[in-house]
Amino acid sequence: MDRVGASRVTQGALVAASMASLQRRMEGMAAVQEQLSTGKVINRPSDSPTDTTAAMRMRSALAQQKQYLRNAQDGLAWTGLIDQTLGSVTDQVRRARELALQGASASVSPAARTALAAEVRQIRQGVLDDANTDYLGRPVFGGTTAGNDAYDATGAFVGVAEAVSRATADGVRIRVDLPGTDVFGDGPTSVFAELDALADALEAGDETAIRASIDALGSRLETVSASRAGVGATTNRLERAVQQIQDSTIDLTSDLSDVEDVDLAKVLMDLQVQEVAYQAALAGTARVLQPSLVDFLR
Amino acid sequence: MGGTFASLMSPLSALRYSSTALDTASVNIANASTAGYTRRVVDAVSVGAAPQVSMWSRPAGHVGGVEVTGVRRSVDLLLDARVRHEHSLQSFLDLRASVLDRLEAGLGEPGDNGVAALMSDLDAAWHDLANNPGGDAARSQVLDRAATLADGLRARARSSATEAADQRSALLALVAEVNTVAEELAATNGKIVAAQQSGVDANDLLDRRDLLALRLSELTGAQGTVRPDGAMDVRVQGVSLVDGRNAGRLTVASGVTPTGEGDGSPVSLQVDLGGSTTPVPTVSGGRVGAVVELLDVTIPAFDTALAEVARMLADDVNAAHQAGYDLDGNPGLALFTYDPADPAGTLAVAITDTRQVAASATPGGTLNGDNALAIADLRGAETTYQRLVNDFGTEVAAAGRLASTQAVLTSQVDRSREQLTGVSYDEEMVAMVAAQRTYEAAARMMTVLDSVLDTLINRTGLVR
Repeated sequence: MDRVGASRVTQGALVAASMASLQRRMEGMAAVQEQLSTGKVINRPSDSPTDTTAAMRMRSALAQQKQYLRNAQDGLAWTGLIDQTLGSVTDQVRRARELALQGASASVSPAARTALAAEVRQIRQGVLDDANTDYLGRPVFGGTTAGNDAYDATGAFVGVAEAVSRATADGVRIRVDLPGTDVFGDGPTSVFAELDALADALEAGDETAIRASIDALGSRLETVSASRAGVGATTNRLERAVQQIQDSTIDLTSDLSDVEDVDLAKVLMDLQVQEVAYQAALAGTARVLQPSLVDFLR
Repeated sequence: MGGTFASLMSPLSALRYSSTALDTASVNIANASTAGYTRRVVDAVSVGAAPQVSMWSRPAGHVGGVEVTGVRRSVDLLLDARVRHEHSLQSFLDLRASVLDRLEAGLGEPGDNGVAALMSDLDAAWHDLANNPGGDAARSQVLDRAATLADGLRARARSSATEAADQRSALLALVAEVNTVAEELAATNGKIVAAQQSGVDANDLLDRRDLLALRLSELTGAQGTVRPDGAMDVRVQGVSLVDGRNAGRLTVASGVTPTGEGDGSPVSLQVDLGGSTTPVPTVSGGRVGAVVELLDVTIPAFDTALAEVARMLADDVNAAHQAGYDLDGNPGLALFTYDPADPAGTLAVAITDTRQVAASATPGGTLNGDNALAIADLRGAETTYQRLVNDFGTEVAAAGRLASTQAVLTSQVDRSREQLTGVSYDEEMVAMVAAQRTYEAAARMMTVLDSVLDTLINRTGLVR
């Protein structure tokens, strides 16, 4: 009756083993259930420390890409506005040059020249307004100035000739502003001085000075076109950056999903397996715990 | 046959034996699910005639019987010692794993609300500021998110501090429980010795003794040794806690004040026994051991790592911020402040005026945003934090694995013990039926003897 060391199975041992295995099954079900309800494989760092770190890096990189996209789009708004403004400047300077060509003809009456001069002065004001174009309160040709204008009324540059850049990737800065002095010049060498000189020459009927202005405005047009080409190149760079950011966002999102998210088919399969195991454990427990010799003794 | 009526003694002894066996079976069944109950086994020997009654006489017959020598507990002292050992490890690992789980849940990683996400938010705010250095909205967004990040780190530090405070109260409660159990064990020891001396059945007391010793092992990882007189001595890390009928008092010597505050030094315990005080070397098992390890090693290590993150964040950002210039062209001030003694718990944003955010890399009050970009590119604190999460996650995972591995071992020794000490209804039924049959047979034997004697007494010499 007393077999020390031999394997003796008692009702207590059966109950304990049944409870333990039921508990284990429940734990397995709970783990699968958690994955299903959160949709995540990693719900806490200890689920997989390495994957957690990878997921954190990817989340951080995703947030950065999101920000880089905002930066690049902000940069595109700057270059778009600059391009548009330079288009308007080109039209106006070309018109001023046409007016100068008209005025250069000897057959033009002084009254007509005065009218031409008045239009040139209008154009000067228009170009000055363009030079002070602002994006969200910042003059786009004024560098990093805190003021509202890039040029004052006399045509002097009042901006701060520092680059305005946008970060579009790690360590990549794209300059999105255009220094006003590159396009419009400054003070005596500015387009405003050239237009003033043209208006003065028209009023005075000084044909030599008018021809000098025609040459000056011609080279100014080239300067503006060259700047516009530069802005176009910047726009292309920004657009390529946007494309790259969107590509890497897609890559990162899918990588993050690979690391973090559950494979639904697999988890549902796991759940099925756990469920079957749990039911088997329940059925087994019910049948094992029921009978004892008590039932058979009369 | 010996004497005329001596023959009746054999069945009588069988009746006594079988009633003891029936009693034992019914006690076993009654206590089948009582905690700490060990199965009782009836020991019996057959009794023959005395080999030599006196110098000149020899027994003439074959009179004998059965005699109950005792009701024994079905135990194995070595197995009990192993049960105590495994249970002490199990409670150590379980407590440690559950506290680490709680701390880990407080981190909230990986997720959209963890410190890592707050750091990314702050970086984004610096970028927005770089895009629009003059905007008041962008400036206050930087300050708001910096404050949120500081709050986040402080919350993590607070959850760790709360856990440490909980564990300190838990230590005091555990020590009190240890002392209660030790006193009860010492008292039980005294009763056992007295019962054994007076020859009273001490089995229930022995069960009680083993249960209390197991509880002490679970609490402190204590080791028990049974004395020849049945009392159990208990030692914690070699320091005597229960010595026969004398119980020592476990007290906290340093690390935790009686009101549950930390006093800055590592936790140390001591035992007062018999007028002398002995310091206990580092307790490495049981719940007390787990609490001491959490208070002395795990939680401080977590705090240090968190402090390093906070310190690095504040120092890096401050250095970069001070290298820049604010909207008025003045050199930047420190953005974060903290107390070097507790960086994570005291981290706060020092600047309230949005104009003082130093976005510009050049003086003169221009709308330069290069310094904001430089700050956004700082990665030191983020990397350190990722390492903290990785290291801590690894530790929690390891603790969980150790606890479940130990659970296999513990359940195995529990099963072995149950195999030996557990009550099986089937066995008891068989024992009961066997005793019943023995009783019936012995009674029948008596009837036969009675009829034999009847023949002898009433019918001898009668001729029909």
